[in-house]
Amino acid sequence: MTIDVLAFAASPRRHGNSETLLDRVLATMEEEGAAVEKIVVPEVDIRPCKGCNACEKLNRCVQRDYMDYVYDRIIEADCIILASPIYCMGLTAQAKMLVDRAQVFRSRKFVLRLPVVPPERKGKRVGIFISTAGQDWDYVFDSTIPSVKCFFHVIDVRNKDIQYLMVNSVDEKGAIDRHPTANTDAERLARDVVAYLREVGVA
Amino acid sequence: MTVNVLGISGSPRRHGNTETLLDAVLDGAREAGGEIEKIVLRRLDYASCQGCNVCHKTGACIIDDDLTEIFEKIAGADVLVVASPIYSMGITAETKGMIDRAQYLWAQKFILKTLYYSAEHTRRHKGIFVSTAGLGWENVFDAAFPAITAFFNTTGFEYWDNVIANDLDRYGGIAGHPTALADAQKKGRDVVGLLLGLQAPEDTTN
Repeated sequence: MTIDVLAFAASPRRHGNSETLLDRVLATMEEEGAAVEKIVVPEVDIRPCKGCNACEKLNRCVQRDYMDYVYDRIIEADCIILASPIYCMGLTAQAKMLVDRAQVFRSRKFVLRLPVVPPERKGKRVGIFISTAGQDWDYVFDSTIPSVKCFFHVIDVRNKDIQYLMVNSVDEKGAIDRHPTANTDAERLARDVVAYLREVGVA
Repeated sequence: MTVNVLGISGSPRRHGNTETLLDAVLDGAREAGGEIEKIVLRRLDYASCQGCNVCHKTGACIIDDDLTEIFEKIAGADVLVVASPIYSMGITAETKGMIDRAQYLWAQKFILKTLYYSAEHTRRHKGIFVSTAGLGWENVFDAAFPAITAFFNTTGFEYWDNVIANDLDRYGGIAGHPTALADAQKKGRDVVGLLLGLQAPEDTTN
């Protein structure tokens, strides 16, 4: 078995700081033997949640778009990574679309009382939130965390299995490459997560 | 003298709890003599910010779509009422999509320094955040406030107050909430009354 990593690059800017940091994590995970897939959120067709609540009855979304594929992949993956820069003190609108569409899992779990992942896979999934911000405020990520926790909670990643890699004071494209610790932190995190997933018997 | 009140509904659902609460604010504002306009974001066609940072050099957004006119309306409003339900502990993607597009104003303010709101301007421009949440948690709105604060700062509005109601799953919707709609109407009346008072020429009081 190979460790299955599913990553979402949710910045509208390609190859900017948050995606570069994500790429560093993914490259290290690949070196460690994991299979990685990166979905560039602004380049696929993901529409916002309509708030229709039909998923509370249908156990699926009424919208037919790229989320059909993403829903399946979210369940299959052992590690799910969300990478978003901070825009206006929050996730990007593109990232929030993805998070809000996870409402299907919330309905499945808390309304329909159905499993999201099979019982034997519970506690064997890791979530990683990668973020970058131009501002140097130490609290710049705070208001984003609740939505991130919400996302991982409904897709059956335990709170203690969420890892955070958040770097502030990186604004212009390429700033992340000059950061003193971000890249080594990314590599270490990637190795730690792969080691953890092996330890719990994923692969 | 007119007080222009612009309400923006960022809910994907029409006439749900949040929009109903927004309507109550706008009704109150109308009663007090305000000129009301309501925008429903889901009826518009717009892209979110592309993160291209061109506005950091030009002060203008490269995107020309339905939001372009909305930002003109925002600039002409005295009261800006932004309404969004809480989805996954935050504002909706529709609302965030609009807020992120204000980056060109942020660039004018902080990079190009071509935009400046005087204290007097901000005092005469009031922002209200309207929100609802199904959950009863007291902290359910907390993560939404910073983005709203950023938006009002960027558009030159004083973040005057919140009109928020949580625990709506328990109340069976906004209509079941004991005080929210009446409170919302009062807030609408009060903000227009306040601005009419500020607009009154001071030299006529003698």
